[in-house]
Amino acid sequence: MDFGSLPSDLWLGLSACFTIKWVTILGIQVPIFINIFWCLMGALIGTAIGVLPGVGPVATMALLLPITYFLTPEGALIMLAGIYYGAQYGGSTTAILINVPGEASSVVTALDGHAMAKLGRAGPALAMAALGSFFAGTVATCLIVLAAPPLTKLAQQFAPADYFSLMVLGLVLAIVMASGSLLKAFGMIFLGMLLGLVGTDVNTGNTRFTFGIGDLFDGIGFVIVAMGMFGIAEIISNLANVTRRDLVSSKVSGLWPTREDFRRSVAPIFRGTVLGSLLGVLPGGGAVLASFASYSVEKKLSDTPEKFGQGMIEGVAGPESANNAAAQTSFIPMLTLGIPSNAVMAMMIGGMMIHGIVPGPQVMEQKPALFWGMIVSMWLGNMMLLVLNLPLIGIWVKMLLVPYRLLAVAIMFFCCVGVYSLNNLHTEIYFMALFGVLGFVFIRLGCEPAPLLLGFLLGPLMEVYMRRAMLLSRGDPLVFLQRPLSLAFLAIAALLLLFVILPNVRKARETAFQE
Amino acid sequence: MRIKSGQDFATGLLLAAVGIAAFWIGADYPMGTAQRPGTGVLPRILAWCLIGTGGLLLVKSVYSTGSPVGSWSWRPLLAVTLGTVVFGSMIDNYGLVASMIVAMTICALGTAETRWFEFAVFTLIMIVASWAMFIWLLGMPIKAWPTSLVPFIEQMLR
Repeated sequence: MDFGSLPSDLWLGLSACFTIKWVTILGIQVPIFINIFWCLMGALIGTAIGVLPGVGPVATMALLLPITYFLTPEGALIMLAGIYYGAQYGGSTTAILINVPGEASSVVTALDGHAMAKLGRAGPALAMAALGSFFAGTVATCLIVLAAPPLTKLAQQFAPADYFSLMVLGLVLAIVMASGSLLKAFGMIFLGMLLGLVGTDVNTGNTRFTFGIGDLFDGIGFVIVAMGMFGIAEIISNLANVTRRDLVSSKVSGLWPTREDFRRSVAPIFRGTVLGSLLGVLPGGGAVLASFASYSVEKKLSDTPEKFGQGMIEGVAGPESANNAAAQTSFIPMLTLGIPSNAVMAMMIGGMMIHGIVPGPQVMEQKPALFWGMIVSMWLGNMMLLVLNLPLIGIWVKMLLVPYRLLAVAIMFFCCVGVYSLNNLHTEIYFMALFGVLGFVFIRLGCEPAPLLLGFLLGPLMEVYMRRAMLLSRGDPLVFLQRPLSLAFLAIAALLLLFVILPNVRKARETAFQE
Repeated sequence: MRIKSGQDFATGLLLAAVGIAAFWIGADYPMGTAQRPGTGVLPRILAWCLIGTGGLLLVKSVYSTGSPVGSWSWRPLLAVTLGTVVFGSMIDNYGLVASMIVAMTICALGTAETRWFEFAVFTLIMIVASWAMFIWLLGMPIKAWPTSLVPFIEQMLR
């Protein structure tokens, strides 16, 4: 492997981040590092979102997708990425301070983090969470830099059949790693793929499932489905079960951890980083699984496992590092192969498509500034969060005072304007409302919407690769088993499915998710 | 025969119904040849997959216990959906401000928690902020005011 071009690549990324744009403010020309600005905005918006329970990063990214249309591709993706890792920071802040995990990935942080806050040690818990996250983010960014070029090289040798099988593997992995019923996850993926087929078939020019509606001939927009399923549906569901939040505003004093805290946190941070980096790469994995896994590892390795839940700093440092590492490394399959591993990455791909960039291994070659700029921006964003997050804690806690009844109204409005701004078509707002109702039905039926979104994105792509593979093999379907890479992907997918269906493994998986 | 898991049963029914509908609608899509798979190949495969998954869920719902379907909470469901649809039907003709007021009010009716004075202040702030952001800063081609009503109003004043 050749890493000789790394320094120049990173330099390219750095200069892309520090692009200067002259902006006229009050008649004066002011230079602004425009991409750094969007990175900061993304990170701040993300943190704010992370703080608010009931508003997830996926919904926010869906809301902001139409706005990124007004930015450069670099600025758009840098901001969207910032929202994601910003949300990880924000989620842990409220988990520690008021025992309200803003994000699913900080549920375990609340256990020991809030216990520490009750003991008057909120400061060290917050600081250690931020430091651990920063360390994990740095390591994970380095991993992306190291892993991306060879993976991209590998991906460039893929034949259509290999791609098809890789997507099958990706979807199977997403099912295996998802919590909840396997059958339902399968159903959601098939349903998503079917929705993805709506519109004109690019190969033959025939229309499918359009019901003669002209606005459907171009297919259903990704933003419409995403906003309906993650924006509108979540508002309905959250309004249906309003939970009272009691603000236990504990004073944050003595921010800096003691030497003893550092000594106890170093190993958990390292372990969490490794665990998170590995789990983040797997499709369907990501931050939530990583934080849960790290917590149970720390508990198992501890000399005093019975003290977990009473304010052990290991239980904060480990999971927080793990979820941030996983948040970063989940970019690897998206950037190198163009395959989204979870709903957040699906949003990133949506952001690319809005700007006419086809996700895949060619992005690194054709848009090096975009590719490396985004990677460098992640590290810069993490650093900004580390510096900004602790002084801003007061503001974040104040934000919790905004009642959900107002937030819900605002989110509904932003969804409407966002969808309308894409094409100025009011019919698309109707479609979004339809997907909102559908999303709510799925929530009530206990079905996860994320696999549907993955199927929606991957379905049409799989059809394209399937057709190419069949054309190249002159109609021989065995091509999927004859190419070694393709065979390997399919074999792994089949093995995974077999494992999950076996009853004893299924029980273990269920208990793992219950923990 | 008793249904032990309402969620599984309803999901199975939904998936199977969509599968059968997709099969029926896609029945006349051309299948093409093996070398050049046509428009109908993937729809038909997916239709079978959906019917299969739905069927398995239906069978499972009879044998293994699971959660029942939750309550439908009609009030937020109707209010939020209606608010969205009304916004869509108003935005072209009546502009941003009027659409916002009507749609947000309908949405606010969705929860018993709404305090109307607080809501009014919030709506005002939202209108100013979104005008500044979407029309002034981003320059979206959205009307602010219901200008299409001006001729009517002039007629009435005359």
